[in-house]
Amino acid sequence: MAQTMKLTICHLYSDLMDTYGDRGNIIAIQKRCEWRGINVNIKQISIGDPLSTLHFDFDLFFFGGGQDQAQGIVGSDLKKKAAPLKKAVENGAVMLSICGGYQLLQNYFITKDSKKIPGIGIFNAHTEASESRFMNNLQVELNPMLEKQVQSAYQSNNLTMYQPNLIGFENHSGKTYLEKGTEPLGKVIRGNGNNGEDKTEGAIYKNAFGCYLHGSLLPKNPLFADFLITKALEKKYGSVRLELLDDTLEWQAHNRAIKTS
Amino acid sequence: MDLKLTLAISTGKIISFLNKLSGSGATAAPGLYALKIDPDLVKKLSSNNNLKSIVVSGTNGKTTTSRLIFEIIKSKQKIIHNRAGSNLLRGVASTLINNSSILGKVNADIAIWEADEAALLPISKDIKIDTLVLLNLFRDQLDRYGEIDTTRKKWIEVVTNLPKTSMLILNSDDPSTNYLAKFTKAKKIFFGVEADKINLPQIENVADVKYCINCSAKLIYQTLYSAHLGKYSCPNCDFGRTTPKIKATNLTFNHNFSTAATITFNDHQLTTDYNLPGLYNVYNVLAATSVATTYKVEDDQIKKAVNSFSAVFGRFQKATLNGCQITTFLIKNPAGANEVIRTIAIRPNLNILAILNDNIADGRDVSWIWDTNWEAFKGAQINVSGTRAHDLALRLKYAGIETKNVDVDIKSALATSTNSKSLIILPTYTAMLELQNYQGGGESKWHKQ
Repeated sequence: MAQTMKLTICHLYSDLMDTYGDRGNIIAIQKRCEWRGINVNIKQISIGDPLSTLHFDFDLFFFGGGQDQAQGIVGSDLKKKAAPLKKAVENGAVMLSICGGYQLLQNYFITKDSKKIPGIGIFNAHTEASESRFMNNLQVELNPMLEKQVQSAYQSNNLTMYQPNLIGFENHSGKTYLEKGTEPLGKVIRGNGNNGEDKTEGAIYKNAFGCYLHGSLLPKNPLFADFLITKALEKKYGSVRLELLDDTLEWQAHNRAIKTS
Repeated sequence: MDLKLTLAISTGKIISFLNKLSGSGATAAPGLYALKIDPDLVKKLSSNNNLKSIVVSGTNGKTTTSRLIFEIIKSKQKIIHNRAGSNLLRGVASTLINNSSILGKVNADIAIWEADEAALLPISKDIKIDTLVLLNLFRDQLDRYGEIDTTRKKWIEVVTNLPKTSMLILNSDDPSTNYLAKFTKAKKIFFGVEADKINLPQIENVADVKYCINCSAKLIYQTLYSAHLGKYSCPNCDFGRTTPKIKATNLTFNHNFSTAATITFNDHQLTTDYNLPGLYNVYNVLAATSVATTYKVEDDQIKKAVNSFSAVFGRFQKATLNGCQITTFLIKNPAGANEVIRTIAIRPNLNILAILNDNIADGRDVSWIWDTNWEAFKGAQINVSGTRAHDLALRLKYAGIETKNVDVDIKSALATSTNSKSLIILPTYTAMLELQNYQGGGESKWHKQ
């Protein structure tokens, strides 16, 4: 009998960075693993938790969005945890960060009153506060660099419905600018993405991904959910082929969201 | 004579008259256009008539609380109320215009204004607030209101400007409203629930306040009632729940959606048994009772009004269609929806139609359904509808619940779902409006903004 695979997830600051339904991403990963007989273990790590908690060998990190006050509290605690998190990413751990989480993983953030708040620099990018707010459905065409890998990882009975794009909802006033050598997660088809100017959305560094896609992202973008699960498992188990799932409803929700935007 | 004001009132009245002729329910329109002619219309009509205002705001419970206040104090006062209208400044203007003579004479002692939480600040600048009720503050349509910190900041400005003769009524169980007390010169009344445990299914809930609003230390909850409502204190500073003066004890939630509670204030004790479901309505009853005490309403009158209160449009509305008994509960944000879900989940054999629209009045962002605990509906029969029916079906799939019927069209989804003895409908805002057309509801055009 094949060995039962295990996936260990670290949900960063789940009690504070939980505003925009990003919890749905954890639910999606958990269910899509359970349906395939993959064991999932989720640990929540937050303010004041000692560094030793991060020495645990996590396969996948999730870091969602939160409100400004929460983001401030998280930012100062995150500095203390920067080293083990960066090390995990350097060693190939998978990390999905959204909105506030994504911003805190960049080089710095410039506030409305021109204060420069340092981030932990996993992504070579920065964010500037702005007066306007992007609140729209956001559709993104996956970076071609990533697309082949995503397609080959994605296993569903409904490959005919497969589209190499992500759909979600953006709600941010910070404008993110990618710096030299940083690849975006994708190209904006509808909405604003990183900054509403250069058509880029999100960022990639090794297996760490940042983006502005709430919605929740992973339930109605099963291709990306399965890609992240595959990447995280492969670090431990070598080449992984996930079992097929019926994703008809996932793609219907995906297409409906595109249609109403 | 103030020509500008007279012209504004006349224009408003004409639009209102035309609306009535055409059967349109655009109750905000008269105010909207009148304010374009005289932006100070609300300010002038309020101050010229020396109109005292009771203002009710908060994320959840505004409409029900305003109606309860109206029922409790109506025998004492001549009241105007934006009950059938918009809760923005234009809605206040419309109500004033409809109750004013051409020359601006308003025949009323008191106005009850239900105020949208973001519109409270502009409204407060144009009226004289006698009593302000702040019910709660939860995440709600983040694409419309922004973050709750933003709304709280606006409220701080409102309570800071209250004169010391006015009365501020606050929910002490919500740290966000309790926190406002220190910014005001006004007199204050706190209301809250006193219970060790709420006798409803426990469901995982999102809390918008976990860290002290004052000093950012993690709050300690002695008892958690719902979301971030409960008995809390800060381990680091002196912030904590104020002991409520008006409190509810002995809460019993019945299967037929009625509730029994003892309401205590000073040395008064009222045993109430009323036709509204859930913990969230206990807060509405407490808030309305708090207002009643400041207007010296007799205990018997409060009790009578609460016990005989019938549901507010869409909030807990009963109808019969094709022999099927329908009960409708509006859902619009995670805190409210979670409370509705735990209230309904006590009933056996549930047949549910949940409708998710993503129009502007619903919020274009549907991600809140992932902060809502549909898991409590395991075992129920559920159909889904609305512009984002598939998102909701997907949410239910990941909650381990198979949806029987996914139908974007609300009318046909309703026809399919009423093929049973009873049905509970959980619509978002615009879905609720559409439903009224098929259920023969009388107030189908409420709150059109």
